[in-house]
Amino acid sequence: MIVTPSLSELNMAASLTSTANVRLLSSFAWSSLLSGPIGSRSLHVTAVCCKNRAARIRVGKGEKPLTYEQAYHPHHIAHHKGWLSQHTSNLKGEDGAAERTIEDVFIRRFMFGTFHGCLADEIVIKRRGNLLIVCALMLQKLPPQKFYFLTGYSEVLLSHFYKCPVKLEIQTLQDKHVYKYI
Amino acid sequence: MAAPCWHVGHHIRRNAQSLRVNIEHLAGNRAFGWTPAVHQQAKESVILPRKKAWSKEAVLETLASTLNRDSTAYPYQFQDDPYLSPRTATEFKLYSLAQDSGRSAARYFVNNHPKFFTKDFAEPHIPCLMPETVSLLLEEVSEEALKERITLRKVTAAVDMYDQLLQTGTAVSMETTHELLDLICLYCDRNPVQEGEAGAEEEKEGRRMTSRRGADVPRLSWTENNNAERIFYLLPERDTRCYSAVIRGMVKHGAYAKAFSVYSDMLNNRTPGDVHIFNALISAAPEVRDGYSERWDLISELLNHMKQQEIHPNLLTFNSVLKSLRQCGSLARSYSPQTLNEMKALGIAPSLASYDHILAVFYKSVSSGPSNSDVLQNLMTELEGQSFTCVDPDDVLFFSSAMKVCLDNKDLELGYRVQSLVEVGENWRLLGDSVQLSIYYGRFFNLLCMMEDVDVVLRWYKQMVPSLYYPNAQGMKHLLQALDTDGRLDLLPDIWTDMKTLGLYNRADLLEQLLGLMAGEEHSPELQEAFAVCALDVKSVFEEKAGLEWSASSLSHVTTLLLRASKAQQAWDMLKLFKAHNRIPSEALLNSFLSVCQRDGASERAVELVQLSAAFCLTSTSGLASRALAEFDLNQEQRLVLAGLEAAAGPPSD
Repeated sequence: MIVTPSLSELNMAASLTSTANVRLLSSFAWSSLLSGPIGSRSLHVTAVCCKNRAARIRVGKGEKPLTYEQAYHPHHIAHHKGWLSQHTSNLKGEDGAAERTIEDVFIRRFMFGTFHGCLADEIVIKRRGNLLIVCALMLQKLPPQKFYFLTGYSEVLLSHFYKCPVKLEIQTLQDKHVYKYI
Repeated sequence: MAAPCWHVGHHIRRNAQSLRVNIEHLAGNRAFGWTPAVHQQAKESVILPRKKAWSKEAVLETLASTLNRDSTAYPYQFQDDPYLSPRTATEFKLYSLAQDSGRSAARYFVNNHPKFFTKDFAEPHIPCLMPETVSLLLEEVSEEALKERITLRKVTAAVDMYDQLLQTGTAVSMETTHELLDLICLYCDRNPVQEGEAGAEEEKEGRRMTSRRGADVPRLSWTENNNAERIFYLLPERDTRCYSAVIRGMVKHGAYAKAFSVYSDMLNNRTPGDVHIFNALISAAPEVRDGYSERWDLISELLNHMKQQEIHPNLLTFNSVLKSLRQCGSLARSYSPQTLNEMKALGIAPSLASYDHILAVFYKSVSSGPSNSDVLQNLMTELEGQSFTCVDPDDVLFFSSAMKVCLDNKDLELGYRVQSLVEVGENWRLLGDSVQLSIYYGRFFNLLCMMEDVDVVLRWYKQMVPSLYYPNAQGMKHLLQALDTDGRLDLLPDIWTDMKTLGLYNRADLLEQLLGLMAGEEHSPELQEAFAVCALDVKSVFEEKAGLEWSASSLSHVTTLLLRASKAQQAWDMLKLFKAHNRIPSEALLNSFLSVCQRDGASERAVELVQLSAAFCLTSTSGLASRALAEFDLNQEQRLVLAGLEAAAGPPSD
């Protein structure tokens, strides 16, 4: 049965002088309002963890190597970092940003899988007109002829998939370049 | 008072210009460099146009004209990274083939799973990025199915379909029959090689064996009674295109006599001919006749037939005439200029292939006289500054044969003229594939090393290597000889690093030449140090590479170099290597070693040295022993040993 406070009750509550009592009575009134029928659900809210976790590698014991890209957090983009994906669809009046992002995600996973274990750092994707340029930093784990095989394969497959010319620009390193240890 | 001075000053300043000019006029009879030009300009009248209109691309064209092709850049198909750039000719080929095979692997996936690649984003539509149909769609017996098989180049399936169509009695249109015959004759009744087929292996074997004889040898042979002939004879009426397909197929795949019999068949049926038929027959003429005059008679007969049937010859006709003339011996020299004149009379510009044939005719053997470079000189004068495009597959052979002529005649200036023709416009494309490229640049570099000053050689070397030319062992030897002739042996350590990069360190003879040059004479101390470092490097190469054998001269050269740079301990290790590899050190080496020991005051070592030479049973042992006794201060024991050796070896033979 719903207990609704009548007007007379409220008046009675209002006539009391001490503020604490008023607060107590009003909170009682509110909770009875909120509780609704007997056995119903209420809103449970936990304490909020006000922390940002995006693209951040948490501090460890000092043995974790980080590249420059990993060491700087996303709020450092345009201050200490550049962009990993460069296209014009985020400018005013341009559309297609979502499609470009999906393409970028696919390309990153494709490159990660095709050149498995050879990527030294994140891939940079640049779009110039119709052309899609994928710039990758590789480790010298494979002999050069295997690199060329995989390069030719990826270029043709991605071109046929996205119906635009795709070029791969590869630079090789001996090891991953460590910026700091965390 | 100041005012008149001011006036004077002002006057002078205003009229200073004319004053100065007058003074110059007076003094101007002494020649300054630029005054005559100034006078000249005043005499010519310059007409200034009112308005000059530029095209929209004028700025871009001007900028483009300032650029030449950068010959030091790596070929663009490779990635711009030191680890991924090819350093030898084999690596060049390997990487480009690897890239191509990756591409064909991707195309295989795209064509075999087309459902993932059909979504079309491109506006406008790009047809080359869509999956191609590789498998057959139509299965029923019809002409469309036959056409489909022809477009997909499936030879055996097309022939089967044709036979089925004939059995069912459906008429096949003439157009389709023509295309079918063309297909069969082009591929010689076999399916073209697809990716990953087992037949590819045998193909490659055959190709490797015949590749040395060049493209003249047909790779596939025309079998007896194959499908092409069968279908051909089954046809109710045969017209020009059918004859053309069969004759050209026969010539391409080596059945020359048959081609001529089909041709006479064609003449008997009075079917009109085709320029392609005659081109093929002319190129096949030397194969069916022996004897130079008979060959020429056959060719002239064919040309007469062409004239009778009023078929106009084209460039390929004349090129095949010249190519066949190459096999006609001495007749060629009289008839090939006539052929060129005919070409010019008809207004057909000769291509590089025609010139290549002319060169081959006139410079037949290496032993021809030195005055023969006139032909090439006249040719180069005529071709100066022209741009060419490839119109005949044999065009790519011109530059390497021209450079061969220059090399044989040792004519450097002519070589430079050929090189400048290569640098005109897009002519570098006509240098051919990587094999032809390496031949051409190898010969050019050889000519330079023989005839030119070492500074110019090094300039060309820096420009060409390794972007355009990957020197092989022969080229490196020429370079070393050139350095030796001009006495620039201080560059040898750099050349050694280059040799390591180019992968030329597994040639024992090349290493020996290098070591010999380094050890030839005494040089300044820093240079000796550098040479010693190189020598140690070469030693480590000999030790690492399994196939390399030390020779006596290379061992002694290395030891000498180490001695000169005062690395006595390492030189001593080298002597032990002599024993290990069964080589005998020379007397001069041992003597110089002894002198070094004396300089260092190592008497122990001197005694060991004499003992070593005794172990080799060298005649110089006693001489060494006496020298050691005389020059070193030794203790009693050592004296006894040396005296014993001196006596045992006996008197040295003179």
